[in-house]
Amino acid sequence: MKRRRKPCHLCEAKIKVVDYKDEQLLGRFVTERGKIVPSRITGTCAPHQRELTRAIKRGRYLALLPYVEDYRR
Amino acid sequence: MRDYEIVYIFDSVLDRSVIDQKLERFNQLATGDAGGEVVAVEHWGKRQLAYPIKKHDNGYYVVVQFRTVADSLPEFERAIKLDEDVLRYLLVLSEGELPTPGSSVAEVSDRFNNDDDEEDDE
Repeated sequence: MKRRRKPCHLCEAKIKVVDYKDEQLLGRFVTERGKIVPSRITGTCAPHQRELTRAIKRGRYLALLPYVEDYRR
Repeated sequence: MRDYEIVYIFDSVLDRSVIDQKLERFNQLATGDAGGEVVAVEHWGKRQLAYPIKKHDNGYYVVVQFRTVADSLPEFERAIKLDEDVLRYLLVLSEGELPTPGSSVAEVSDRFNNDDDEEDDE
């Protein structure tokens, strides 16, 4: 069975620079725990995934996104 | 000359006037003598931090975009690091982002909701 390639959301929305300050956008690409969702799940293309990764890490540094959400024990 | 963008997180108990003073001093240092200029200053205001920084739960965010020569940056950064009221800052090359993101979520979330049904046919 062939799987059709999922479309890249960022390409479709024609986003050129992924802004690390856009926490709402970045929030779509992390799990409830704050981990970055792999592109194999989201369908993001490789160039955009690299941009996203960098943006998310910057966002974390600025406390816009958590490094770890709600960690206990 | 290059375009830079810096995000400051100030201690949120500071008065706006104090923050403005500090910003003025920082901007002065950033643009330096070589004819740099401040492109945009945007106050996001007080917001909650995703995790505590230096025992603070809230911070006052300010975004500044400016153009300057790289030589003026070391002194600029040194001044910021010495200021204890700056909880954190991030200085990066600007790639044409807006000072306040007009969130791109709307466009992206549309796709997220529509495309679930077409994943594994064929």
